[in-house]
Amino acid sequence: MSRSRGLILIAILVVISVVVLAISEVSVLGFTRGGDSPLGLTLGLDLEGGTHLVYNVVPEDGREPTREDMEGVRNIIDRRVNEFGVSEASVQLLGGGVDSVADRVLVQIPGQTGSAITLNFGADTVSTEVLEAFFHDELGRTDAEVSQNENLSLTVQLDDIRAEVIDADGVVITPSEADAWRDAIIAHYPVALQVSYVLPQVTPPVEGDDNSVDAAPAEDEVTLPTLAEVEAAFASVDRSDADVDEVTGADGLYAILMYGLDIKSTDANGNPIVSEDKKIFDALDQIGLVQFASMQGVLTQWTLGGGVQEAKNVIGTTAQLEFRYRECGDEFALSDDIPWPPNGLTQDEWALERCSNPAYFTESETEIDPADLDDAFPAISQGAFANPIVTLVFNDDGAKAFFDVTDRVSRHQDRLAIYLDGTELVAPGVSQGGIAGGRAIIEGGDFTTESVRTIAIQLRSGALPVGLELIQERNVDAVLGKDSLQKSLIAGGVGMILLLIFMIAYYKIPGLVASIALIAYSIMLLGIFKMIPVTLTLSGAAAVILSLGFAVDANVLIAERTKEELRSGRSLLAAITAGFERAWPSIRDGNMSTIIVAVVLFWFGDRFSTSVMQGFALTLAIGVLLSMFTAFFASRLLLRLIASSGFGNNPNLYVPVRDQNEPSESATGGNS
Amino acid sequence: MDIVGKRRIFLTISIVLATLSVIVLGTSGLNLGIDFTSGTTVTYQFDGGDPGAADVVEALAKSGHPGAVVQALGDAQYFIRTDDLGNSGLNAVNDEIAKLDGAPARVLDTTSVGASVAEDTVSNAITAVIVAAIFVMLYIMYAFRSVPNSYKYAFAAVVALMHDVVIVLGAFAVLGIAINAEVNAIFIVGILTVIGYSVNDTIVIFDRIRENVTLAPGRDFRTTVNLSINESITRSLGTSITTMTVIIAMLLFGGASLRDFLIVLLAGVMVGTYSSIFVAAQVLVLWERRGFLPWRRVTPTNS
Repeated sequence: MSRSRGLILIAILVVISVVVLAISEVSVLGFTRGGDSPLGLTLGLDLEGGTHLVYNVVPEDGREPTREDMEGVRNIIDRRVNEFGVSEASVQLLGGGVDSVADRVLVQIPGQTGSAITLNFGADTVSTEVLEAFFHDELGRTDAEVSQNENLSLTVQLDDIRAEVIDADGVVITPSEADAWRDAIIAHYPVALQVSYVLPQVTPPVEGDDNSVDAAPAEDEVTLPTLAEVEAAFASVDRSDADVDEVTGADGLYAILMYGLDIKSTDANGNPIVSEDKKIFDALDQIGLVQFASMQGVLTQWTLGGGVQEAKNVIGTTAQLEFRYRECGDEFALSDDIPWPPNGLTQDEWALERCSNPAYFTESETEIDPADLDDAFPAISQGAFANPIVTLVFNDDGAKAFFDVTDRVSRHQDRLAIYLDGTELVAPGVSQGGIAGGRAIIEGGDFTTESVRTIAIQLRSGALPVGLELIQERNVDAVLGKDSLQKSLIAGGVGMILLLIFMIAYYKIPGLVASIALIAYSIMLLGIFKMIPVTLTLSGAAAVILSLGFAVDANVLIAERTKEELRSGRSLLAAITAGFERAWPSIRDGNMSTIIVAVVLFWFGDRFSTSVMQGFALTLAIGVLLSMFTAFFASRLLLRLIASSGFGNNPNLYVPVRDQNEPSESATGGNS
Repeated sequence: MDIVGKRRIFLTISIVLATLSVIVLGTSGLNLGIDFTSGTTVTYQFDGGDPGAADVVEALAKSGHPGAVVQALGDAQYFIRTDDLGNSGLNAVNDEIAKLDGAPARVLDTTSVGASVAEDTVSNAITAVIVAAIFVMLYIMYAFRSVPNSYKYAFAAVVALMHDVVIVLGAFAVLGIAINAEVNAIFIVGILTVIGYSVNDTIVIFDRIRENVTLAPGRDFRTTVNLSINESITRSLGTSITTMTVIIAMLLFGGASLRDFLIVLLAGVMVGTYSSIFVAAQVLVLWERRGFLPWRRVTPTNS
């Protein structure tokens, strides 16, 4: 009974593995495994291509990094890598032992051969097809592929972008070739501006006060700027090429079309400059009271991504936490003459938009120095509802600045916007006056236990005085990776077939059983690799070879022992049973010592700045355990099954070729 | 086959090989890759023809790396190793490479390792090997607790293991001189694989000895060991041949990236099989007869 049960178990596992491998993406109970790679296996970067970066974490005050620091660093790199648009990038801590804290971070970015540019013109301005055609025809990059992201930005995928050359002091020597593309795109696509002027709210002159000196000029100013004045404003900022039109049917409304408007606010070396759009709006402000001004089709985002250079730039910089004052759009109209809320919004919509839509608020720097943030941690609110909150703790300097800012925010119903690396983390309002004492809580309707934890870590890491030092780097071209994978697969296949031929030719029936067991073993091994998932690397492939060797060895041992038992005069079935029992201790002990080596390797593996060791150790341990399992269930039971059938009951089929050719030895019937 | 009786021949071969290995390792040493020495390696693929190694060397000298190691991998692929390049350094090299015949060249693979990592790699590798050896010894002592003096089995297995590691390292040092083979992180994996294989192979023989000692406790230990070796030699050869078949197939059909690793593995399987039969078992016999201390030998030998 038990033998058929064991075989059924193996058969079921093999069938499951085949199914798992056949379906490229498997989802069970919320776990998703697999993908586009061959058989849906997870491939390491030496097989898939990619980048492997190791950073040393160096706190700026010279102390050893703490666990807290490391968690913060990991989080911040995670976020940056994700923002960088790299899916499946892995960030892990290295170097931690039993008694020591990790002090290195390993970043692995798979399959990153090409480079990508993410750019944003705002909604519906330039379609993916149009931009792709521009790259193909005007810029001569036929490898460009353009896709649209969820936030309506566009991503251009290219095989490679020549990176900028930076000298030791960080000064750009040769700009990236992408800079020229940026200029070409800005010159090619028009930007549409709209500006609407209103008459200023003038206090009606008081009766009998006609000798007021102010009254006369006020009379003159009660006109809207003319077309000529608007054109002159553009000319004053060297933009006489702008095409200014008066929009009919609305007084003081002008539509302007212009090319080559660049709104970047830093020069090539990253020094701040006054951006052109700011100059234009300042000039427009000079000639009248602007009610609203809008800009469409301007290139607001230009992020280089994908190249190793860019990945390193993104990861290696110190995190920048910023507390900014957000002045929201006026809640109520300043005068009855101006239609308010603007753009036909209802009062309810306006309440939501005025502090969240960048078109309606302005921001300015505050006196809060992020270094003064002592701590930030997740907590639960004390009120009637236990809501997740984030608690902030400032030191004395920070507490004072925080009071001033929160006081102002509270009085004007504005917001305190907190940014990390230029991305908004949270932008709370302040409910009851300035917050004194340097302790504050942030609560939010959409906060969860998980999100407050993340925000707290990000706040802490932003205030983290640690530097990252790149100590190891490895890049593998995807073509090379694919080539290695293909060659390894062919080689593995050829090796396997040779092995099976040898086993069957030499060991006959036990060889056949071993072959079936080995095929079952290989299928189950791949199935397990896919489901755990184990990342398959070249060193992992080595571990597979070794464990394959052990799987063969187990079968060879059983076959040899069975042969001996046959010679000592046992019946076939008895010989198989005894042969297995004799072989088992050496299979067990040999494999156990290999597993010990694997465990030691895994334990030491993360002290090496490479994932090679741990991948090898894990693959080896799984392979060896499975080989013992297969030998115990499949090989033995299959041998017995075949022996008891009519096909395989001839004992001669169980004696290897060589021994049959030595009649003198086999005639003695054993040698003990 | 009286293998135990001829143990002097086999042990002499082993001692000579191990001594030669130590000498080669001591004099010319291993051709250490950047994982141990720090620096940068780049593999270029020229898409427009093969510029020739001399031109590549010259291009590197022009970009300020006269001491760079250049190795032609075939198919217009070149492997280059220099001191740590950094980013701007790599761009300077790329600029010079782009001027060669055969340009454009693609960068297939780059690796940079800083000095602090390189130092750690050596000490961590050695520690890992020693810790693994200690745990394997402990396990063998436990697994062989039923036979007298199980610590001797553990010791003999570790002697065989060290023997294999030293000879494989020596063989690789020779390869380093002959074909410029480099020791890198995956090489350590290869050595660890050899350890796994060596211990496994030794244990199979020891298991036979354990069984025969238990079956006939009174028999002369020499005879028991010789019998055990003869009984398990077909299995040892069978397993080595099958494993080597797979490795040779991978060597012939696999890519260049695994070549050095597979050579290590091939050497390891051969040496590992040899040492299980001709070293580990013989050390047991020697020790049993106190062969290490000739003046304390209990039974004089006449074979």
